[in-house]
Amino acid sequence: MADTITKEQVFDAIRKVIDPEVGFNLVEMGLIYDAIIDDDNNVKVVMTLSTRGCPLHQMLTQWVKDAVKELPGVGEVEVEVVWEPAWNISMADDNVKKALGAL
Amino acid sequence: MFNVSREFAPPFGLIAPYFVIGAIFYLIASFVLMTFGTDITHFDIGVVGWAHLFLLGFVMMIIFGAMAQLVPVVLEVGHFSVDFYYLIWPLLALGTVLMVVGFWLTPGLLPYGGMMVLISMLVFLTDTILTLRKVERISLTVKTVAVTNAFLLLGILVGFAMALGIGAGVGIDIGKWLNAHIVLVLGGYVTLTIMGMSLILLPMFGLSHGFDERPINLSFKIMVGGVLLYLAATLFDSGDFRFLALLTMIGAMGLYLYQIWLIYKTRARKEADIWFKSMVFGYGSLALSLPLGFIGVMGGAERVGLTAAWFLVMGFFTFLINGHLYKIIPFLVWFERYSPLVGKKKVPMLADMVPKKMGEFQFWFSAGGVAIAGFALLIGNDEMFKAGAAFIATGAIFLVTSVNWMMKFGKEEMENG
Repeated sequence: MADTITKEQVFDAIRKVIDPEVGFNLVEMGLIYDAIIDDDNNVKVVMTLSTRGCPLHQMLTQWVKDAVKELPGVGEVEVEVVWEPAWNISMADDNVKKALGAL
Repeated sequence: MFNVSREFAPPFGLIAPYFVIGAIFYLIASFVLMTFGTDITHFDIGVVGWAHLFLLGFVMMIIFGAMAQLVPVVLEVGHFSVDFYYLIWPLLALGTVLMVVGFWLTPGLLPYGGMMVLISMLVFLTDTILTLRKVERISLTVKTVAVTNAFLLLGILVGFAMALGIGAGVGIDIGKWLNAHIVLVLGGYVTLTIMGMSLILLPMFGLSHGFDERPINLSFKIMVGGVLLYLAATLFDSGDFRFLALLTMIGAMGLYLYQIWLIYKTRARKEADIWFKSMVFGYGSLALSLPLGFIGVMGGAERVGLTAAWFLVMGFFTFLINGHLYKIIPFLVWFERYSPLVGKKKVPMLADMVPKKMGEFQFWFSAGGVAIAGFALLIGNDEMFKAGAAFIATGAIFLVTSVNWMMKFGKEEMENG
């Protein structure tokens, strides 16, 4: 049996996924809301996007899936995009806010 | 849940000609501007030819190209058949050339050019209407697309009837219908389309959230009412209704500006890049155009009205379109050339794919030119107008160069593996 995957590992894996429009990873943007991991290491990532009309919608979710799948011992990976709560800049890390001029 | 997949996203080779040809028409139209003085009117056949060169060759060409990309984004469904877009640009480009030559030199070409433009737009409308039938979530933007396309259809039918009138002697009162044609196409299609799209694009690029959307909802309804009222005024030949319709449209645009202010105030992204500067100048031009338009309508002051139209078309429409080219083209190029490489090698960010210095030159020459020529129109100074036009033409050279630079970004690297 493989070691249990932790939420931190999932978030760290997703840090490799960069939004090409703003240049920050999805975790520091505050777009990743949760990672639910069951006993078989199946992972469900709950995330949002900065806008409903994001033309990179499918690609970003696919990149998240691909990044998590690289974790050793991971089972099935599912990505769910939700719109509640709606994303806003207060959810981003301070370095993002500072770089965008929102801090 | 809807996703813009590769199947929905149009191929780069399909959209690229719209932006390249649109930019070239803009360049040509900018140079032609230098041949005009300040005594122009919208009934002058030389100006009518130029207006078609600019509005069909540049404004509509770029809007249609953008729609190929944006329709799936804003309607949240895939195109009925994106392949229709392979037909639109050649027909529109050739039709525009024939129409312009028809206006300037050979009126007999007008019906042929008009027919080509009409067919190109009918192809566009067919795809859009059949795509709209697949939509499940009816948002304001969806309504905007539906209404604007109905206005476009009416506008081009009126335009085609006038082309037959000038080129083939069909009996139509051009003096009566010309203004309705302008209002239907510029007010009913271009302005309302920009209103609908901006509600998606400005918050997307500025990362604005949590703003009140009621002003734009109301503004949209008032604008539609204004265009319909103008149409009724034309049908019943009522000067009072026409006057009221123009004031209604000015009011609607004022409310729209308030909406833009709300979006601006809630933006998280404060970077003043070339897109942002273009938006500021574009909306600043609209803010200037509205009171001038009001004075022009109320006082019957033609020169003031002409200046209002100048800032609306050359300031508002043009800067909103050109500004978005610096966002849309890098995205399309990135999507085509770099998205398959994500996770495999280092890929550029979209901001790296914008020619910053060329963009700055384009912006400042164009903005300076629009301001100088606009002021010249107001005071009736021909030399100053030509100087302004020369600035605009210089800006247009930088625009074409920038578009070419963005289109070619990474191409050589890809070809060499």
